Amino acid sequence: MLELSGVGKSFGKNEILRDVNLKVAAGDVIAILGPSGSGKTTLLRCINFLEIADQGTMVLEDRTIQLPRAKKSEVAFVRQKTSFVFQNYNLFNNKTALENVTEGLIYGRKIPAKTAKEIGRKALEKVGMADRSDFYPSQLSGGQQQRVGIARAIAGNPDVILFDEPTSALDPELIGEVLSIMKKLAQEGTTMIVVTHEMSFAQSVATKAIFMDGGVILEEGEPHEFFVRPRHERTKQFLRSILYEMEYTI
Amino acid sequence: MFRYRPEVAWVYLFKLLPYLKVTLFYMAGALAIGIVFGAGLAMMKLGKNRPLRYFAVGYTAVMRSLPPIILIFLIYHGVPLLARRLWQVNISGLDTVYFVILALGLSSVATLSEIMKSAYLSVSGGQYEAAVSNGFTPFQAFRRIMFPQALRVSIPNLGNALVILMKEGSLGYTVGLIDIMGRANLLNSTAYGNDIYEIFFTLAAIYWLASVLIDRSFRFLENKLSLERRIRLKEAGLIAANPQGGITREP
Repeated sequence: MLELSGVGKSFGKNEILRDVNLKVAAGDVIAILGPSGSGKTTLLRCINFLEIADQGTMVLEDRTIQLPRAKKSEVAFVRQKTSFVFQNYNLFNNKTALENVTEGLIYGRKIPAKTAKEIGRKALEKVGMADRSDFYPSQLSGGQQQRVGIARAIAGNPDVILFDEPTSALDPELIGEVLSIMKKLAQEGTTMIVVTHEMSFAQSVATKAIFMDGGVILEEGEPHEFFVRPRHERTKQFLRSILYEMEYTI
Repeated sequence: MFRYRPEVAWVYLFKLLPYLKVTLFYMAGALAIGIVFGAGLAMMKLGKNRPLRYFAVGYTAVMRSLPPIILIFLIYHGVPLLARRLWQVNISGLDTVYFVILALGLSSVATLSEIMKSAYLSVSGGQYEAAVSNGFTPFQAFRRIMFPQALRVSIPNLGNALVILMKEGSLGYTVGLIDIMGRANLLNSTAYGNDIYEIFFTLAAIYWLASVLIDRSFRFLENKLSLERRIRLKEAGLIAANPQGGITREP
């Protein structure tokens, strides 16, 4: 459904992504792991054209798009078919929770306001925020804001939802509410690409785990294999440090 | 010897007040120039085009260091000269107020562009990304998300800028502008300096009152646009709909 090939991106002399290939099938939940600076977030941002890749192509549904030379209409197409959940939620602060969900439908997808409202309410219900639909972001906790962020992402019924470290900015006790919603979405067959540091989520929910370092995909595989028998030395090292930290915090 | 006669000051008040409209006129004119071109300059400062950005930053730096009176002199004496040289038109007959508007406008372009730029930057850039990612065009993202928030942030500074504009414009009397300042100056000459306190205290009071009014109306506007107010209204509406329930605020 979504296929990336040969994606490359540099910031000045810094090479962030090098020849990244990724195949996403419907229903996949792909967890992208890796140390910070490994290019995971940049890869995700390139898919949504929040960053313009220097090389690479994307095949989405029946269209082939040259990432560095995407036309406006192609960018619009990709943004209709994918949606993005941000690390810092990035809710519109001057809009209520409901408006945050509906604005994109009304202005981005030209859905009539009334229908958009219905869709918006349903989306908020799904993330357990229906009773907060008239609240402004400043009145919501971080976890609630991120749930609205997820509602905004699912409302347009995209092919793929891109999650960029959706729980990294949250207080530890608020992480659970967001992860459980993501889990629910995954179980319903939503296709997701998740950049995350939540190893247990990656292990239990993902259908595929990807390890990135230095701008390349070093290892990818079925999560169980990946966590139990990592092949690459760098992956082992990374998992060891993460798992050690997890034990340590317990 | 200090002598102040309220009844004389009262008379002067009514001699000065009609000229307030000249003052208001140059304020409005300069503000309009400042907003239109200041927005352009702010866009250049925030944009990616390097020459334009350097131009905008350079312009602001020059204007900020320039005493307004120099600008007024330059425009008042320089522009007619230039017009005659370049296009053989004689514009020295043009009302002085237009030269003052141009001079003040040129400097307020710099001030306002700075205000707009910082207001825009105060709105987190992530919201813009979220908007375009949601299918907004860049203009829609600006119009619906960034601008309303930036406007709210900029209002107190806009009020300050307007007060400064009003005071700087009083220098227009040096090139013969008859606003309240120019009028006061004339009245003072006519009275051979005998009524100096009655005239200039009255003048000061007018400026003071005007700046208080500007300040108040901008504060009113700020409150009107504030998110807190919208939240209060919304809560009031909710509470009215559900008298027992009320609403719980999240921390």
